[in-house]
Amino acid sequence: MRKFLGPIVLNVFAWTTILAVAFPLFWMLVTSVKPQSELFRRPPTMMPEVWTFEHYWHLLTQTNFLVYFRNSVMLSTVTTLLVVTVATLGAYSLVRFRYRGRESLAFMVLFTYLLPSVVLIIPLYLMLVSLGLSNTLFSLVIAYTTFALPYALWLMRSFMAGVPDDLEYAAMVDGASRMGAFVDVILPQLLPGIISTALFTFILSWNEYLYALVLVNSDDARPLTTGVMNMLISSFNIEWSLLMAASVMMSVPLIIVFAFLQSYLTRGFGAGAVKG
Amino acid sequence: MTTLTQTPLERRYARLGLLLIAPTVLIFCAVIIYPLVSALYLSLFKVFTPTLESSWVGLANYRELLASGMFWSALVNTLVWTAGTLTLQIVLGIGMALVLHQNIWFRSLARSLILFPYFISTVVAVLVWKWVFNDLYGILNHLLMQAGITNMPVDYLGSMPNAMISVILVGAWKYFPFVVIAVLARLQTIPEPLYEAARIDGAGPIARFFDVTLPQLRDVLVVIIMLRAIWDFKEFDLIWLLTGGGPSSSTETLPIVVYRQAFALNQMGMAAAWAVSMMAILLVFMIVYIRKTRDKGAV
Repeated sequence: MRKFLGPIVLNVFAWTTILAVAFPLFWMLVTSVKPQSELFRRPPTMMPEVWTFEHYWHLLTQTNFLVYFRNSVMLSTVTTLLVVTVATLGAYSLVRFRYRGRESLAFMVLFTYLLPSVVLIIPLYLMLVSLGLSNTLFSLVIAYTTFALPYALWLMRSFMAGVPDDLEYAAMVDGASRMGAFVDVILPQLLPGIISTALFTFILSWNEYLYALVLVNSDDARPLTTGVMNMLISSFNIEWSLLMAASVMMSVPLIIVFAFLQSYLTRGFGAGAVKG
Repeated sequence: MTTLTQTPLERRYARLGLLLIAPTVLIFCAVIIYPLVSALYLSLFKVFTPTLESSWVGLANYRELLASGMFWSALVNTLVWTAGTLTLQIVLGIGMALVLHQNIWFRSLARSLILFPYFISTVVAVLVWKWVFNDLYGILNHLLMQAGITNMPVDYLGSMPNAMISVILVGAWKYFPFVVIAVLARLQTIPEPLYEAARIDGAGPIARFFDVTLPQLRDVLVVIIMLRAIWDFKEFDLIWLLTGGGPSSSTETLPIVVYRQAFALNQMGMAAAWAVSMMAILLVFMIVYIRKTRDKGAV
């Protein structure tokens, strides 16, 4: 009897907690497909009585959402490409080469990885304003490298350390140059690590708020985070359904990653965050 | 490590290594080192943000800052937030990791659901929670009133101590998955014979947790706690978006003061002084963390 009941109790307990944790996300989805009139019903309906996608339609056609979305896609893509390229080369150098100052560089990477944005933001703001770059997506790319590059380097370093030395040497014995060996032997081995670093960097940039808040003040260059937040602040009547629809849409890239590439996320966790 | 480069080939490799790290170093200097140094320098000036007019004041910003009660109350707020949310994250994180380590139904779905809050944007998390917390139509007030726990709608974000508690809870909800994944990965490497030995010695589940699991998790927990402490200490988005530091600065943490000084009160020099002071406190955590990882040979 105990053998039979134990797992059931455990499962019921486990799933109650898990669903409680996930409830706000469920509630976001439900709210986004309820008609405005149903939203203010008491008691609230757990599942929408009438399903509607009018809020999504409204969001896409009558707000700046698509502009923000495009900005976010461009911003995150450019940042990711730049950062992952630089970090891959940098990590290769930090792990596989011997030169003076290498140890202090590695230390600096870790230090900057932990650095708070609010310390950098004031001088960065002054710098970008004096360069005439404020209110551009490019200024955000520059600002985002301050946190994305240390992060990507830190991840790539530990992925690089996981690629066995012998492969590289074997290729060089066969006559490949050092960079030839890097491209032919190391890069393929490193690919899963590169993918997971790219995913993390992309998500990090996609979700960034503070720099976007300070550096960009025009709708043309505003990414989703500050753009959607503005919809909350500037509206006289808060339209919760619309905001929930925006939240869902904003999480779409993440949902895609979760559905298809989740193993890369877990791998990144293991490599970067808690290697101890 | 061996001695530095000697042979021509090794010297050529060293040069290649430097070439490969060069972009990183250049970017670091331009967007991190230079701003850091100028933050220090800026903190010695009085700067009016809109015109960027500045005058040298030496250490006056720091004197004013330390003399004002605001610094200490912001520091206390930061520590309360950090300690509160960190404790919850660790406890919930270990608990959930133990649950997910068991053979429960739909385990990978469960793991995805738990992981999701960590990866969504803080903006999304805040919007959703603001709606859940809504005083008139929020689901939370409705559920609490239906369950008879309260008969008045609770004001979650507009009064104290509710605002601080709410911020801490949302922070725990958003960041505990990090602990779950890190602990879960370590749990899977604990050798089964340790548990068998404990079982033979007559240890129950609770004794096994304290005598086997916890000591095995010790190292990874130290690292997690340090990392999360640093990240929670410098958290801006979540608190700023949920309460804006209110009601009347009672959830105003150090990062929020820095932002307000610079961009709402238009005192860049003063803001830089706040930022540097905050950095000084954070440096203690950072050095401990870096020491810890270095001992382990990770750096």
